[in-house]
Amino acid sequence: MTIQIDRNIFDDAAISKTIYWLSGDFSFQRRLEGEIESITITPKPGSEMSDLDIELAFLDKLNDNKLRGIIANETKDIRTILYAKAFADDDYLSEEDLNE
Amino acid sequence: MNYHLLPFTFTRISNHEVLVNELGDMIISPFGTVYKLVNREPVDEELFKSLAANFFVSDTAIPVLSDIYALRLREKKRFLDQFTALHIFVLTLRCNQNCVYCQASSCNEDCTSVTMTMHTMKKAVELMFKSPSPYLTMEFQGGEPSLEPKLLRYGIELAEEINKAEQKNINYVLCTNCVDLTDEVMDICKQYKVMISSSLDGPAYLHNTNRGKKDSYEKVVAGFERARSILGHDQVSALMTTSELALDYPIEIVDEYRRLGFRSIFLRALNPYGLATTNPDWTDYTDRFIEFYKTALNYIIDLNIQGTFFIEEYAAIILKKMITPYTTGFVDLQSPAGIINSVLVYNYDGYVYASDESRMLAEFNDYTFRLGHVDEPYENIVYGKAAKNAAKYWSNEALAGCTDCGVRTYCGADPVRNHSTQNDLYGYRPASLLCRKNKAIIEYIISLIIERYDEVMPIFKSWLL
Ligand code: SF4
Repeated sequence: MTIQIDRNIFDDAAISKTIYWLSGDFSFQRRLEGEIESITITPKPGSEMSDLDIELAFLDKLNDNKLRGIIANETKDIRTILYAKAFADDDYLSEEDLNE
Repeated sequence: MNYHLLPFTFTRISNHEVLVNELGDMIISPFGTVYKLVNREPVDEELFKSLAANFFVSDTAIPVLSDIYALRLREKKRFLDQFTALHIFVLTLRCNQNCVYCQASSCNEDCTSVTMTMHTMKKAVELMFKSPSPYLTMEFQGGEPSLEPKLLRYGIELAEEINKAEQKNINYVLCTNCVDLTDEVMDICKQYKVMISSSLDGPAYLHNTNRGKKDSYEKVVAGFERARSILGHDQVSALMTTSELALDYPIEIVDEYRRLGFRSIFLRALNPYGLATTNPDWTDYTDRFIEFYKTALNYIIDLNIQGTFFIEEYAAIILKKMITPYTTGFVDLQSPAGIINSVLVYNYDGYVYASDESRMLAEFNDYTFRLGHVDEPYENIVYGKAAKNAAKYWSNEALAGCTDCGVRTYCGADPVRNHSTQNDLYGYRPASLLCRKNKAIIEYIISLIIERYDEVMPIFKSWLL
């Protein structure tokens, strides 16, 4: 089966992470034409999921990965700051570093 | 709404979104919450207060309480400050049982050249004291370490001698099958308060079948009695390993532990080392183990509800990570991984390994996690090439699949298991049976908290006191 994904809505990272988690049970072929990515999904031997179930599983994961990606992007600086505050030697960190 | 997100990830369990931050704080919320937060749409007021109080969102770009956040983050990784606390000494591969599923690649009692020399013991003890940890656990393993009482005594007495100057807090643990605890061994244990850690797989038919013996159960239980009478009841603990046969007996195994006076059980899956690699279908085993675990855990919860205090240790470790600000000393669920950071193994032949599993791989000629030799300087061992290589793969914060995983902070990284099962230290999570097992168990515990909060939370909290 083939799923069409609008790359204006879902970026490469969200799609790649979704494929990563499903690649134990399925093989994937990706083709990008303009803004639309076509993803052909082939079940590996032993899979008993229907096409509809596969599509739903893919889209659910895709949506979640998009949200995770947004959170990770939005919080990457504060995450670095908090980790630095927790673990870096205080001598190497000034208030400006933390407030930058 | 105008606020800033703080780092967190999420997963879906029991028709809820479960949000978990870097500190291990967990918020259970209705579906759609994360979407609303990301898009700054209003969420329920009480829920929002909870998200703010628990460091999921902040009014300011840098939270006002960022110092507290940093302190809590540091506490969660406290085990790194102290470095290696658990030091395993493999005294010998000789064994008086040679059980069918042995994970320690033991050999016959009459074997020669598989026992640690006094020189190796001396060097290993000296290396142990190089660890900055103020707490040291000296654990004696085998084979069957009680077959080497002179070596055992020498190791402990040397540690006691060195510790007069070092003043560390040392615990001794003897991992023994309890089949033949001689007076000599019991004297050492009594004199130096050595804890006995033994193995019991469940009722007699199960234990004996697992081990391919007729009378192992009787001997082990008699050994428990003897050790308890000499050392005290609480100085004796037991570990079970879930063989394929055991998967059908979750209730019976728990009952057997209760009957023998234990107040807890650690429901432990087989691991793919040693003779245990002959197990035919690991995927099927893992799925069955997960069901076995759930059945046993539910039974234990029911026992507690009926007034019998009894702990499932694996759940207790996960719960400690989930509902307290503290870390655990459990090496299998740590990130950075427990190897080297929390455990070192001194093998009978003088080589030093990153973990118990690492030395078992070496018995099959895989030396990936051999860190060095006891005759080498400490720094060459713990900061050497093998250690540095393992370190590239030991943080689940930076591993594909784990980074975004909703239960990451409760799980751990295990490059040794990745290597042994997937021939790749990095590991491939979608096919990892360890990932499958950990995720299933952690998510199941969360599902219990969601669905049976009032019933299970008082019990779970009581396990952590
Ligand atoms: S091993 Fe699996 S369960 Fe554990 S953090 Fe990684 S992805 Fe999550």
